[in-house]
Amino acid sequence: MTPTLSYQINQILRGSIPFWMSLLLVFISVIPFRLPGFDMVTPLLLSISVFYWSLHRPYLLPPIVVFVLGVVQDTISGAPFGLTSLTMLIVYAIAASQRQVFVGKPFIQMWWGFMLVAIGLSFLTWVVMCFYSLALIPIVPVMIQSGLTILFFPLLAWIFALVQSGLMKHI
Amino acid sequence: MALNQGTAWRLAIPLKVFFQRFAFLSLICLSIALLVLGKADLVLLERARTISTDALSPVLGTLSQPVNAFNKGIERVQELASLVEENERLRLENERLIKWQAASRALTKENEYYRQMLNALSDPLVLPITARVIGDSGGPFVRTLLLSAGRLDGVRNGQAAVGPNGVIGRVVQVGHQSARILLLTDLNSRIPVILENSRHKGILVGDNTNIPKLGYLPNNAKVAPGDRVVTSGDGGMLPAGWPIGVVSAVNDGQISVQAYADWTRLEYVSVLRYDLPGLTDKETNPGDLSESRLGN
Repeated sequence: MTPTLSYQINQILRGSIPFWMSLLLVFISVIPFRLPGFDMVTPLLLSISVFYWSLHRPYLLPPIVVFVLGVVQDTISGAPFGLTSLTMLIVYAIAASQRQVFVGKPFIQMWWGFMLVAIGLSFLTWVVMCFYSLALIPIVPVMIQSGLTILFFPLLAWIFALVQSGLMKHI
Repeated sequence: MALNQGTAWRLAIPLKVFFQRFAFLSLICLSIALLVLGKADLVLLERARTISTDALSPVLGTLSQPVNAFNKGIERVQELASLVEENERLRLENERLIKWQAASRALTKENEYYRQMLNALSDPLVLPITARVIGDSGGPFVRTLLLSAGRLDGVRNGQAAVGPNGVIGRVVQVGHQSARILLLTDLNSRIPVILENSRHKGILVGDNTNIPKLGYLPNNAKVAPGDRVVTSGDGGMLPAGWPIGVVSAVNDGQISVQAYADWTRLEYVSVLRYDLPGLTDKETNPGDLSESRLGN
Protein backbone atom coordinates (compact mmCIF):
# COMPACT_ATOMS: atom_id res chain seq x y z
CA MET A 1 0.00 0.00 0.00
CA THR A 2 1.44 3.32 -1.02
CA PRO A 3 0.99 6.06 1.54
CA THR A 4 -1.29 8.95 0.67
CA LEU A 5 0.10 12.24 -0.50
CA SER A 6 -0.89 14.13 2.64
CA TYR A 7 0.82 11.45 4.74
CA GLN A 8 3.98 11.81 2.68
CA ILE A 9 3.95 15.60 2.97
CA ASN A 10 3.40 15.24 6.67
CA GLN A 11 6.39 12.91 6.94
CA ILE A 12 8.59 15.23 4.89
CA LEU A 13 7.63 18.23 7.00
CA ARG A 14 8.30 16.36 10.22
CA GLY A 15 11.53 14.97 8.84
CA SER A 16 12.80 18.43 7.93
CA ILE A 17 12.36 19.75 11.48
CA PRO A 18 16.06 19.25 12.37
CA PHE A 19 17.04 21.30 9.34
CA TRP A 20 14.68 24.18 10.12
CA MET A 21 15.67 24.23 13.77
CA SER A 22 19.33 24.31 12.82
CA LEU A 23 18.71 27.12 10.35
CA LEU A 24 16.89 29.10 13.02
CA LEU A 25 19.84 28.62 15.38
CA VAL A 26 22.18 29.92 12.67
CA PHE A 27 20.10 33.09 12.41
CA ILE A 28 19.83 33.46 16.17
CA SER A 29 23.59 33.29 16.55
CA VAL A 30 24.13 36.41 14.42
CA ILE A 31 21.28 38.53 15.79
CA PRO A 32 22.74 41.35 17.86
CA PHE A 33 21.76 40.76 21.50
CA ARG A 34 23.64 43.85 22.75
CA LEU A 35 25.00 42.15 25.85
CA PRO A 36 28.46 43.47 26.70
CA GLY A 37 31.05 41.39 24.84
CA PHE A 38 28.52 38.77 23.82
CA ASP A 39 28.92 39.23 20.08
CA MET A 40 32.52 38.02 20.36
CA VAL A 41 31.68 34.87 22.29
CA THR A 42 28.25 34.00 20.88
CA PRO A 43 27.95 30.23 21.34
CA LEU A 44 28.19 28.12 18.22
CA LEU A 45 24.58 26.93 18.50
CA LEU A 46 24.72 25.12 15.17
CA SER A 47 27.28 22.68 16.57
CA ILE A 48 24.81 21.64 19.30
CA SER A 49 22.11 20.96 16.75
CA VAL A 50 24.41 19.06 14.40
CA PHE A 51 25.78 16.98 17.29
CA TYR A 52 22.36 16.14 18.68
CA TRP A 53 20.68 15.22 15.43
CA SER A 54 23.68 13.32 14.09
CA LEU A 55 23.39 11.16 17.18
CA HIS A 56 19.63 10.69 17.18
CA ARG A 57 18.50 11.05 13.57
CA PRO A 58 21.61 11.03 11.34
CA TYR A 59 19.54 10.36 8.20
CA LEU A 60 17.55 13.57 8.74
CA LEU A 61 20.67 15.71 8.74
CA PRO A 62 22.90 14.17 6.05
CA PRO A 63 26.38 15.60 5.33
CA ILE A 64 25.17 17.72 2.43
CA VAL A 65 22.62 19.45 4.68
CA VAL A 66 25.28 19.97 7.36
CA PHE A 67 27.50 21.49 4.70
CA VAL A 68 24.76 23.86 3.51
CA LEU A 69 23.99 24.96 7.08
CA GLY A 70 27.68 25.69 7.61
CA VAL A 71 27.86 27.74 4.43
CA VAL A 72 24.79 29.74 5.47
CA GLN A 73 26.40 30.47 8.83
CA ASP A 74 29.63 31.56 7.13
CA THR A 75 27.71 33.73 4.70
CA ILE A 76 25.78 35.75 7.21
CA SER A 77 28.45 35.89 9.90
CA GLY A 78 31.13 37.14 7.50
CA ALA A 79 33.51 34.32 8.40
CA PRO A 80 35.59 32.79 5.58
CA PHE A 81 33.55 30.44 3.40
CA GLY A 82 34.04 26.81 4.29
CA LEU A 83 35.13 27.35 7.90
CA THR A 84 31.90 26.43 9.66
CA SER A 85 30.95 23.81 7.09
CA LEU A 86 34.29 22.08 7.62
CA THR A 87 33.97 22.08 11.41
CA MET A 88 30.31 21.02 11.33
CA LEU A 89 31.14 18.10 9.03
CA ILE A 90 33.74 17.02 11.55
CA VAL A 91 31.15 17.20 14.34
CA TYR A 92 28.80 15.13 12.19
CA ALA A 93 31.47 12.52 11.50
CA ILE A 94 32.37 12.18 15.19
CA ALA A 95 28.77 12.03 16.36
CA ALA A 96 27.53 9.67 13.65
CA SER A 97 30.41 7.26 14.23
CA GLN A 98 29.97 7.22 18.02
CA ARG A 99 26.24 6.66 18.13
CA GLN A 100 26.42 3.43 20.11
CA VAL A 101 28.47 5.21 22.79
CA PHE A 102 25.86 7.91 23.39
CA VAL A 103 22.38 6.92 22.25
CA GLY A 104 20.22 5.53 25.04
CA LYS A 105 22.85 6.37 27.63
CA PRO A 106 22.45 8.89 30.47
CA PHE A 107 22.32 12.52 29.38
CA ILE A 108 25.46 13.40 31.29
CA GLN A 109 27.44 11.06 29.07
CA MET A 110 26.23 12.86 25.94
CA TRP A 111 27.03 16.21 27.52
CA TRP A 112 30.52 14.99 28.39
CA GLY A 113 31.01 13.81 24.81
CA PHE A 114 29.83 17.14 23.46
CA MET A 115 32.21 18.94 25.79
CA LEU A 116 35.19 17.07 24.35
CA VAL A 117 33.99 17.70 20.80
CA ALA A 118 33.35 21.41 21.44
CA ILE A 119 36.74 22.03 23.02
CA GLY A 120 38.59 20.16 20.29
CA LEU A 121 36.56 21.95 17.68
CA SER A 122 37.22 25.47 18.91
CA PHE A 123 40.92 24.70 19.16
CA LEU A 124 40.90 23.38 15.58
CA THR A 125 38.96 26.41 14.34
CA TRP A 126 41.39 28.68 16.12
CA VAL A 127 44.38 26.98 14.46
CA VAL A 128 42.72 27.14 11.03
CA MET A 129 41.86 30.82 11.47
CA CYS A 130 45.38 31.67 12.68
CA PHE A 131 46.80 30.10 9.54
CA TYR A 132 44.10 31.68 7.42
CA SER A 133 44.73 35.21 8.64
CA LEU A 134 48.47 34.64 9.23
CA ALA A 135 48.19 36.20 12.66
CA LEU A 136 47.87 35.10 16.25
CA ILE A 137 44.19 35.51 17.10
CA PRO A 138 43.46 35.93 20.83
CA ILE A 139 42.49 32.47 22.10
CA VAL A 140 40.64 33.54 25.25
CA PRO A 141 37.39 34.55 23.48
CA VAL A 142 37.55 31.31 21.51
CA MET A 143 37.70 29.31 24.73
CA ILE A 144 34.93 31.38 26.34
CA GLN A 145 32.79 30.76 23.26
CA SER A 146 33.44 27.06 23.59
CA GLY A 147 32.50 27.15 27.29
CA LEU A 148 29.27 28.99 26.56
CA THR A 149 28.41 26.52 23.82
CA ILE A 150 28.86 23.68 26.30
CA LEU A 151 26.64 25.48 28.83
CA PHE A 152 23.92 25.99 26.22
CA PHE A 153 23.94 22.30 25.31
CA PRO A 154 21.53 20.99 28.01
CA LEU A 155 18.90 23.62 27.21
CA LEU A 156 18.91 22.97 23.47
CA ALA A 157 19.22 19.21 23.91
CA TRP A 158 16.15 19.33 26.16
CA ILE A 159 14.20 21.26 23.52
CA PHE A 160 15.36 18.86 20.82
CA ALA A 161 14.36 15.88 22.93
CA LEU A 162 10.88 17.37 23.45
CA VAL A 163 10.51 17.92 19.72
CA GLN A 164 11.84 14.48 18.99
CA SER A 165 9.42 12.71 21.31
CA GLY A 166 6.51 14.96 20.41
CA LEU A 167 6.65 15.49 16.68
CA MET A 168 9.09 12.94 15.36
CA LYS A 169 8.30 9.77 17.23
CA HIS A 170 8.01 7.56 14.17
CA ILE A 171 10.49 9.25 11.88
CA MET B 1 13.03 -14.39 -4.75
CA ALA B 2 13.92 -13.86 -1.14
CA LEU B 3 17.45 -15.07 -1.86
CA ASN B 4 17.76 -12.67 -4.80
CA GLN B 5 16.67 -9.78 -2.67
CA GLY B 6 19.21 -10.79 -0.06
CA THR B 7 22.12 -10.79 -2.50
CA ALA B 8 20.98 -7.50 -3.94
CA TRP B 9 20.99 -6.03 -0.45
CA ARG B 10 24.38 -7.51 0.30
CA LEU B 11 25.73 -5.75 -2.77
CA ALA B 12 23.79 -2.55 -2.26
CA ILE B 13 24.75 -1.81 1.32
CA PRO B 14 28.52 -1.57 0.83
CA LEU B 15 27.90 0.48 -2.30
CA LYS B 16 25.65 2.81 -0.36
CA VAL B 17 28.23 3.09 2.41
CA PHE B 18 30.93 3.75 -0.18
CA PHE B 19 28.93 6.56 -1.79
CA GLN B 20 28.08 8.04 1.59
CA ARG B 21 31.75 8.02 2.56
CA PHE B 22 32.64 9.48 -0.81
CA ALA B 23 30.06 12.24 -0.49
CA PHE B 24 31.28 13.01 3.00
CA LEU B 25 34.92 13.22 1.96
CA SER B 26 34.16 15.31 -1.09
CA LEU B 27 32.17 17.74 1.07
CA ILE B 28 35.14 18.03 3.44
CA CYS B 29 37.39 18.69 0.43
CA LEU B 30 34.90 21.24 -0.88
CA SER B 31 34.97 23.09 2.44
CA ILE B 32 38.76 23.21 2.38
CA ALA B 33 38.71 24.33 -1.26
CA LEU B 34 36.27 27.11 -0.33
CA LEU B 35 38.62 28.24 2.45
CA VAL B 36 41.58 28.35 0.05
CA LEU B 37 39.59 30.11 -2.68
CA GLY B 38 38.25 32.59 -0.15
CA LYS B 39 41.81 33.40 0.87
CA ALA B 40 42.56 34.12 -2.79
CA ASP B 41 39.83 36.81 -2.76
CA LEU B 42 37.82 35.28 -5.54
CA VAL B 43 35.34 37.84 -6.88
CA LEU B 44 32.77 35.16 -7.59
CA LEU B 45 32.71 33.98 -3.97
CA GLU B 46 32.30 37.50 -2.65
CA ARG B 47 29.52 38.09 -5.17
CA ALA B 48 27.79 34.93 -3.96
CA ARG B 49 28.15 36.10 -0.37
CA THR B 50 26.72 39.52 -1.19
CA ILE B 51 23.73 38.08 -3.01
CA SER B 52 22.89 35.50 -0.37
CA THR B 53 23.36 37.92 2.52
CA ASP B 54 21.05 40.28 0.72
CA ALA B 55 18.45 37.57 0.31
CA LEU B 56 18.68 36.56 3.98
CA SER B 57 18.77 40.07 5.43
CA PRO B 58 14.96 40.48 5.68
CA VAL B 59 14.83 37.32 7.80
CA LEU B 60 17.53 38.68 10.09
CA GLY B 61 15.78 42.03 10.24
CA THR B 62 12.54 40.40 11.30
CA LEU B 63 14.19 38.09 13.82
CA SER B 64 16.13 40.93 15.44
CA GLN B 65 12.95 42.94 15.94
CA PRO B 66 11.71 41.14 19.11
CA VAL B 67 15.22 41.15 20.59
CA ASN B 68 15.34 44.90 20.05
CA ALA B 69 11.96 45.39 21.65
CA PHE B 70 13.02 43.30 24.65
CA ASN B 71 16.27 45.26 25.05
CA LYS B 72 14.40 48.53 24.80
CA GLY B 73 12.01 47.41 27.51
CA ILE B 74 14.87 46.53 29.84
CA GLU B 75 16.60 49.82 29.13
CA ARG B 76 13.39 51.70 29.86
CA VAL B 77 13.07 50.02 33.25
CA GLN B 78 16.71 50.77 34.07
CA GLU B 79 16.21 54.39 33.08
CA LEU B 80 13.13 54.68 35.30
CA ALA B 81 15.22 53.72 38.29
CA SER B 82 17.69 56.55 37.80
CA LEU B 83 15.35 59.19 36.45
CA VAL B 84 16.12 61.90 39.00
CA GLU B 85 19.90 61.59 38.88
CA GLU B 86 19.80 61.36 35.13
CA ASN B 87 17.76 64.53 34.94
CA GLU B 88 20.18 66.37 37.21
CA ARG B 89 23.15 65.15 35.17
CA LEU B 90 21.54 66.20 31.91
CA ARG B 91 20.71 69.65 33.28
CA LEU B 92 24.36 70.19 34.23
CA GLU B 93 25.53 68.84 30.92
CA ASN B 94 23.11 71.09 29.08
CA GLU B 95 24.47 74.15 30.88
CA ARG B 96 27.99 73.16 29.95
CA LEU B 97 27.04 72.46 26.35
CA ILE B 98 25.32 75.80 25.92
CA LYS B 99 28.61 77.48 26.83
CA TRP B 100 30.39 75.21 24.38
CA GLN B 101 27.86 76.03 21.72
CA ALA B 102 28.59 79.72 22.01
CA ALA B 103 32.32 79.06 21.82
CA SER B 104 31.86 76.74 18.86
CA ARG B 105 29.74 79.29 17.00
CA ALA B 106 32.38 81.95 17.45
CA LEU B 107 35.13 79.56 16.35
CA THR B 108 33.20 78.46 13.27
CA LYS B 109 32.71 82.06 12.21
CA GLU B 110 36.36 82.81 12.85
CA ASN B 111 37.41 79.70 10.94
CA GLU B 112 35.18 80.62 8.00
CA TYR B 113 36.67 84.11 7.94
CA TYR B 114 40.24 82.76 7.95
CA ARG B 115 39.40 80.29 5.21
CA GLN B 116 37.99 83.11 3.14
CA MET B 117 41.12 85.19 3.67
CA LEU B 118 43.36 82.30 2.64
CA ASN B 119 41.03 81.28 -0.18
CA ALA B 120 41.18 77.72 1.24
CA LEU B 121 38.97 75.06 -0.30
CA SER B 122 36.33 73.89 2.13
CA ASP B 123 35.84 70.20 2.81
CA PRO B 124 32.93 68.63 0.99
CA LEU B 125 29.80 68.13 3.02
CA VAL B 126 29.00 64.74 4.43
CA LEU B 127 25.57 63.16 4.17
CA PRO B 128 24.88 60.35 6.61
CA ILE B 129 22.61 57.40 5.82
CA THR B 130 21.35 55.82 9.03
CA ALA B 131 20.40 52.16 9.15
CA ARG B 132 19.56 49.52 11.71
CA VAL B 133 22.07 46.88 12.75
CA ILE B 134 20.52 43.51 11.94
CA GLY B 135 23.43 41.16 12.52
CA ASP B 136 26.82 40.83 14.15
CA SER B 137 29.59 38.36 13.52
CA GLY B 138 28.48 35.88 16.19
CA GLY B 139 31.95 34.57 16.93
CA PRO B 140 35.48 35.44 17.94
CA PHE B 141 37.10 35.35 14.50
CA VAL B 142 35.64 38.29 12.63
CA ARG B 143 34.27 41.61 13.82
CA THR B 144 31.61 42.76 11.40
CA LEU B 145 28.09 44.18 11.48
CA LEU B 146 25.26 43.73 9.05
CA LEU B 147 23.21 46.82 8.21
CA SER B 148 19.71 47.04 6.76
CA ALA B 149 20.69 49.55 4.07
CA GLY B 150 22.43 48.86 0.79
CA ARG B 151 23.12 50.06 -2.71
CA LEU B 152 19.56 51.29 -3.18
CA ASP B 153 20.00 53.64 -0.23
CA GLY B 154 23.29 55.02 -1.50
CA VAL B 155 25.68 52.87 0.54
CA ARG B 156 28.92 52.12 -1.31
CA ASN B 157 32.04 50.12 -0.60
CA GLY B 158 34.63 51.89 1.48
CA GLN B 159 32.40 54.48 3.12
CA ALA B 160 32.93 55.23 6.79
CA ALA B 161 30.45 53.95 9.36
CA VAL B 162 29.90 55.97 12.51
CA GLY B 163 28.00 55.21 15.70
CA PRO B 164 26.66 57.78 18.14
CA ASN B 165 30.11 58.37 19.66
CA GLY B 166 32.53 58.04 16.80
CA VAL B 167 33.79 56.08 13.83
CA ILE B 168 33.22 52.32 14.12
CA GLY B 169 34.51 50.99 10.81
CA ARG B 170 34.15 50.85 7.07
CA VAL B 171 31.71 49.34 4.58
CA VAL B 172 33.27 46.28 2.95
CA GLN B 173 30.38 44.58 1.20
CA VAL B 174 27.23 46.07 -0.32
CA GLY B 175 24.13 44.32 -1.55
CA HIS B 176 20.89 45.89 -2.72
CA GLN B 177 19.36 46.15 0.72
CA SER B 178 22.13 45.16 3.12
CA ALA B 179 25.71 46.12 3.78
CA ARG B 180 28.50 44.67 5.89
CA ILE B 181 30.67 46.88 8.09
CA LEU B 182 34.19 45.82 8.97
CA LEU B 183 34.63 47.12 12.52
CA LEU B 184 37.87 48.90 13.29
CA THR B 185 38.65 46.19 15.83
CA ASP B 186 38.75 43.46 13.17
CA LEU B 187 42.04 41.83 12.32
CA ASN B 188 41.80 43.12 8.74
CA SER B 189 40.90 46.69 9.54
CA ARG B 190 43.38 49.49 8.72
CA ILE B 191 42.20 53.07 9.12
CA PRO B 192 44.32 56.16 8.42
CA VAL B 193 44.23 58.32 11.55
CA ILE B 194 45.88 61.39 12.98
CA LEU B 195 46.67 62.39 16.55
CA GLU B 196 44.49 65.42 17.08
CA ASN B 197 46.96 67.56 19.00
CA SER B 198 50.39 66.63 17.66
CA ARG B 199 49.09 66.11 14.06
CA HIS B 200 51.20 62.96 13.63
CA LYS B 201 49.68 60.54 11.15
CA GLY B 202 49.42 56.82 11.65
CA ILE B 203 47.32 53.77 10.86
CA LEU B 204 44.86 52.23 13.29
CA VAL B 205 45.36 48.47 13.15
CA GLY B 206 42.67 46.13 14.45
CA ASP B 207 43.60 42.84 16.13
CA ASN B 208 40.24 41.26 17.03
CA THR B 209 40.43 42.63 20.58
CA ASN B 210 38.41 45.60 21.80
CA ILE B 211 41.50 47.82 21.82
CA PRO B 212 42.99 48.38 18.35
CA LYS B 213 46.64 49.43 18.11
CA LEU B 214 48.07 52.58 16.60
CA GLY B 215 50.93 51.87 14.22
CA TYR B 216 53.11 53.39 11.52
CA LEU B 217 53.61 56.64 13.41
CA PRO B 218 56.74 58.68 12.60
CA ASN B 219 59.70 57.79 14.84
CA ASN B 220 59.81 61.15 16.54
CA ALA B 221 56.11 61.16 17.36
CA LYS B 222 55.33 61.70 21.01
CA VAL B 223 52.26 59.89 22.23
CA ALA B 224 50.75 59.91 25.68
CA PRO B 225 47.66 58.26 27.10
CA GLY B 226 44.71 60.59 26.69
CA ASP B 227 45.63 61.84 23.21
CA ARG B 228 42.62 62.00 20.95
CA VAL B 229 42.71 59.98 17.73
CA VAL B 230 40.64 61.16 14.74
CA THR B 231 40.40 60.12 11.09
CA SER B 232 43.03 61.76 8.91
CA GLY B 233 41.10 61.59 5.67
CA ASP B 234 44.12 60.13 3.88
CA GLY B 235 43.12 58.03 0.92
CA GLY B 236 40.01 60.11 0.31
CA MET B 237 37.42 57.54 1.39
CA LEU B 238 36.87 58.63 4.98
CA PRO B 239 36.14 62.27 5.83
CA ALA B 240 38.82 63.91 7.96
CA GLY B 241 38.52 64.82 11.61
CA TRP B 242 35.89 62.35 12.79
CA PRO B 243 36.52 61.13 16.33
CA ILE B 244 37.69 57.53 16.78
CA GLY B 245 38.99 57.23 20.32
CA VAL B 246 41.71 58.08 22.82
CA VAL B 247 45.14 56.58 23.36
CA SER B 248 44.62 54.39 26.41
CA ALA B 249 48.11 53.00 27.03
CA VAL B 250 51.62 53.19 25.63
CA ASN B 251 54.02 50.42 26.47
CA ASP B 252 57.03 49.04 24.58
CA GLY B 253 56.15 51.07 21.51
CA GLN B 254 52.69 49.50 21.41
CA ILE B 255 50.03 52.14 21.45
CA SER B 256 46.55 50.99 22.44
CA VAL B 257 43.52 53.01 21.45
CA GLN B 258 40.22 52.92 23.29
CA ALA B 259 37.48 53.62 20.76
CA TYR B 260 34.69 56.01 21.69
CA ALA B 261 32.19 53.62 20.16
CA ASP B 262 30.08 51.66 22.62
CA TRP B 263 30.29 48.24 20.98
CA THR B 264 27.39 46.73 22.90
CA ARG B 265 24.89 49.47 22.14
CA LEU B 266 25.20 49.84 18.41
CA GLU B 267 21.59 49.79 17.36
CA TYR B 268 21.66 52.35 14.58
CA VAL B 269 24.73 53.14 12.53
CA SER B 270 25.27 55.94 10.02
CA VAL B 271 27.18 55.42 6.81
CA LEU B 272 28.84 58.60 5.58
CA ARG B 273 28.32 59.54 1.97
CA TYR B 274 31.27 61.68 1.23
CA ASP B 275 32.54 63.03 -2.00
CA LEU B 276 35.79 64.66 -2.99
CA PRO B 277 34.95 66.42 -6.24
CA GLY B 278 37.11 65.08 -9.02
CA LEU B 279 38.60 62.30 -6.91
CA THR B 280 35.64 60.02 -6.45
CA ASP B 281 33.21 59.27 -9.24
CA LYS B 282 29.47 59.01 -8.92
CA GLU B 283 29.45 55.24 -9.19
CA THR B 284 31.78 54.59 -6.27
CA ASN B 285 30.48 57.37 -4.06
CA PRO B 286 27.29 59.09 -5.08
CA GLY B 287 27.16 61.62 -2.27
CA ASP B 288 27.51 64.57 -4.62
CA LEU B 289 27.48 68.10 -3.33
CA SER B 290 24.08 69.11 -4.58
CA GLU B 291 22.58 66.21 -2.64
CA SER B 292 24.72 66.79 0.39
CA ARG B 293 23.42 70.33 0.74
CA LEU B 294 19.96 68.96 1.35
CA GLY B 295 20.81 67.52 4.72
CA ASN B 296 23.29 67.89 7.51
